[in-house]
Amino acid sequence: MSTLTQLVLSGILIGSVYALMSIGLTLIFGVLRIVNFAHGEFLMIAMYGGWAFSNLFGLNPYVAALAIVPAMFLFGAVVYWLVISPALDKPHLVVVFATMALSIFLQNAALMAMTADLRDIPPIFNRSITIGPIFLKVELLLGFLITILCTVGLQWMIKKTYLGKAIRATVQDGEAAMLMGIPVPRIFLITFAGGSALVGLAACVMVPLFSVFPSVGLNFVLIAFVIVVLGGMGSIEGALLGGICVGVMQSLSGYYIAPAFGQMFFFVLFLLVMIFRPNGLLGQKGAAMIGMNE
Amino acid sequence: MSIAIPASISSRRIPVLPKRGQISWFEIVLLVISLGLVVSGIAPSLQDVILLSFLFAGLGLAWNIAGGYAGLISFGHSAFFGVGAYTSTILLLRYDISPWIGIWVGALIAAVFGSILALICARLRGPFFILSTLAFAEVVRIGALNWSSLTGGPEGLSIPPMASLAGMVFASKATYAALMLGYLVFVYGITKGLEASRFGYYLFAIRDNDDAASAAGVNPLLGRTAAMALSAALTGVGGSLFAQYFLYLDPTYVISPELSFQFALLPAVGGLGTAIGPVLGSFLITPLSELLRSHLGNAAAGLHLVIYSFGLIVVMLYFPAGLAGALNKLTRWKPFS
Repeated sequence: MSTLTQLVLSGILIGSVYALMSIGLTLIFGVLRIVNFAHGEFLMIAMYGGWAFSNLFGLNPYVAALAIVPAMFLFGAVVYWLVISPALDKPHLVVVFATMALSIFLQNAALMAMTADLRDIPPIFNRSITIGPIFLKVELLLGFLITILCTVGLQWMIKKTYLGKAIRATVQDGEAAMLMGIPVPRIFLITFAGGSALVGLAACVMVPLFSVFPSVGLNFVLIAFVIVVLGGMGSIEGALLGGICVGVMQSLSGYYIAPAFGQMFFFVLFLLVMIFRPNGLLGQKGAAMIGMNE
Repeated sequence: MSIAIPASISSRRIPVLPKRGQISWFEIVLLVISLGLVVSGIAPSLQDVILLSFLFAGLGLAWNIAGGYAGLISFGHSAFFGVGAYTSTILLLRYDISPWIGIWVGALIAAVFGSILALICARLRGPFFILSTLAFAEVVRIGALNWSSLTGGPEGLSIPPMASLAGMVFASKATYAALMLGYLVFVYGITKGLEASRFGYYLFAIRDNDDAASAAGVNPLLGRTAAMALSAALTGVGGSLFAQYFLYLDPTYVISPELSFQFALLPAVGGLGTAIGPVLGSFLITPLSELLRSHLGNAAAGLHLVIYSFGLIVVMLYFPAGLAGALNKLTRWKPFS
């Protein structure tokens, strides 16, 4: 029994970290209606950033986030300006291939700069928290807290602030929003850069938990896609729910069945969701129809 | 500034170089040059590059049937490639069945996989379709990795390198080049036939407007499934040929997202939904990436892919209609009028 509780709890915690990594993707998809295939490489770059801060200045990644998050915001803005914005008015496929090429580019640039070695940072907390028979990693608990704070904060931002209203208006009808005087291209820029900044935050949470290497993004981006689709593309609380589902499934199947098959399970889950509930668990009605006109 | 107003589909369509069902002088010249390269056997060091260009041109064409003609942008085609490669190899190693037969069995099984994927994704469009194909290929890859008794698992399978005609293993690379060119011409012929056929017109109709097509009496699900099955079968044939050339298979290369991307990139660069596009794409990109790899590969790991992907971003952003589209504009350009 305690094994099961342990597995479910660590599943929830790791799932929330996955969710944090997916929020940026779902935000960008919801507003710009594009899939950023380079999302995993954004994560990889930010994770290298966290590793560098720890390695060079001895700062722990939670402090380094103060520098990494704004840096990733800027990086996202530059990428938007150079690659995404010129591709937006072209056929859908152009964005797909452009972001994919960007992903190959960043991955190999990282390979050249950093070699294929696995990089780790020294452990930050020496011991886990124990509650009865259950052990919980402090890093995971912190990640969980940061994810919850982020989700609540984003929800508040989107529901209450002027920027949030402008974003929602853009999502509902870009042309009408333009006519109402909302600078839609700037909303796109802010969303894309904001999504990248969120990946930066996720990277800071993940650096203490996972090693960094140039193709680390590929492992995580597939998980992020599964989460985003499971929760409903464009839904932030959906990403949280999807992340926790994936985390629990991974942790349970990794223990009771072989870990490799655990990975297969969530792709099968993904396909099942696509067949039976293409709008996701919490997605708006018709979410799957976004991008119909490819 | 750009706004996400979806580009209309008609603006995406590229005027095909020759009229449908006809063959242009350009295609004939390209074929003669290719034949010349194979027969003359010049530059043995380039033979690898040449035959890979043929193989990938055929694979790009096979992808194009689904992606370009039927509008089914798939990033899961390496699953069909792998299924084809594994089927013919397993039949050869276990049951001693010649690859000349095994290839067609592989194509058939790949077609079944293609139909399954098309049915899974029947209701999905755009990014959802793309992500589902990616997930499908991952399921197949992880399955192949773990079903060791059949596929050899992560160690892969090796075909004994004994040259024989029945075993489709040859000593000279020129023979392989001829084989790959044969594959390319075969897929090209099917594509050209498709372009002029009734079925081809059904696919264009389904791609351009689903509802209008079904109102006009075309069954979109049937059309999509058939297109995916045909595309998968031809990709499977390419997979078997690949296995016969490299004589080694492992799931992490044969069924990888990278390979799927490559199949899709060649038509995208060359010109989507045209017969000549994937060929042009492959003749440009495959030698480029192979040469960059062999010249820069040792000096700096990853540099060739950095250059390659950078070029790709530029091509995608500035020539979204691909090389065929750019060439077509060039031939229409009248300097003195």
